Amino acid sequence: MSSQKMIDGTDEKRPVIKQGPVSDPSGWVDQHGDYLFRYALMRVRNREAAENLVQETFLAALTARKSFTGRSTERTWMVGILKHKIIDTYRKSFREKSISEIQTDEEQTIDSFYDAVGNPGKYPKDWMPDPEKLLHSKEFWDILKGCLSKLPERTAAAFSMREMDDLDTAEICKELGISSTNLWVILHRARLQLRECLERNWFEKKVDNV
Amino acid sequence: MSNWEEETKGPLVTSCKQAARLISIAMERRLTLRENLTMHLHLWKCRTCTLYRHQIRLLRQAFTRHEEVLDRTPPADCECLNSLTKQRMKDALIKNQ
Repeated sequence: MSSQKMIDGTDEKRPVIKQGPVSDPSGWVDQHGDYLFRYALMRVRNREAAENLVQETFLAALTARKSFTGRSTERTWMVGILKHKIIDTYRKSFREKSISEIQTDEEQTIDSFYDAVGNPGKYPKDWMPDPEKLLHSKEFWDILKGCLSKLPERTAAAFSMREMDDLDTAEICKELGISSTNLWVILHRARLQLRECLERNWFEKKVDNV
Repeated sequence: MSNWEEETKGPLVTSCKQAARLISIAMERRLTLRENLTMHLHLWKCRTCTLYRHQIRLLRQAFTRHEEVLDRTPPADCECLNSLTKQRMKDALIKNQ
């Protein structure tokens, strides 16, 4: 282990080893594994990708554990590392196509929701649920996650950064290398499609069941 | 309909398509006075877009609070790492220490 070598080997320039407030790494997987996994699973497409992100996070945390100041909790610190890893994967999804192609794609999808004069093809149903009840329904989250995964990867990525991570426009645009207009079009498309998917898979079925 | 045609209708009369775009943009930045007036005039006469606005705001509320929900609800089995994966991660941590 490299840090051990440094402590034992370099006597004349012996670094002050600040034993950070970090807990024993051998307990990390049991303590934080499932939480980090669920966090990643909300934001990436599949289990395998989420597992890899969690593993990378643990290894990065291991390397960086001396710099952990203890100002935040260990878990918050690890979530911070995981967030960076997730943004890296988001960035990759934007490199697959040029921005103008992405923009055209998104605009075409938006157009498909309306007729020639700009009336919606399908009118929203009148669902005004109790948000509290909704947010605590496991089924609602499963459907919402399912709807999110039906968006193109990059659309879901930009939407997640905005809505789940609460990053502002400037930060997202910088990370993804897009303009604010690009981002607004992407977010608008995501909202149209998610709302429609949620209505079809949750609210219409709920009404049918009653 | 082309943008040009839409513009000829004047700034304050707008389609649901255009209104929905403004509703979404309003969640990202301050609308200009004209945009804001256009949006509200449309909302005033259009129940469809009022519903739409309510629903996409609910979406934002849900996603904003997902972490709180993540903290509170016990994970389902399918949302946990399986024991094999956990062991693989533990091994990797020990190997790299």
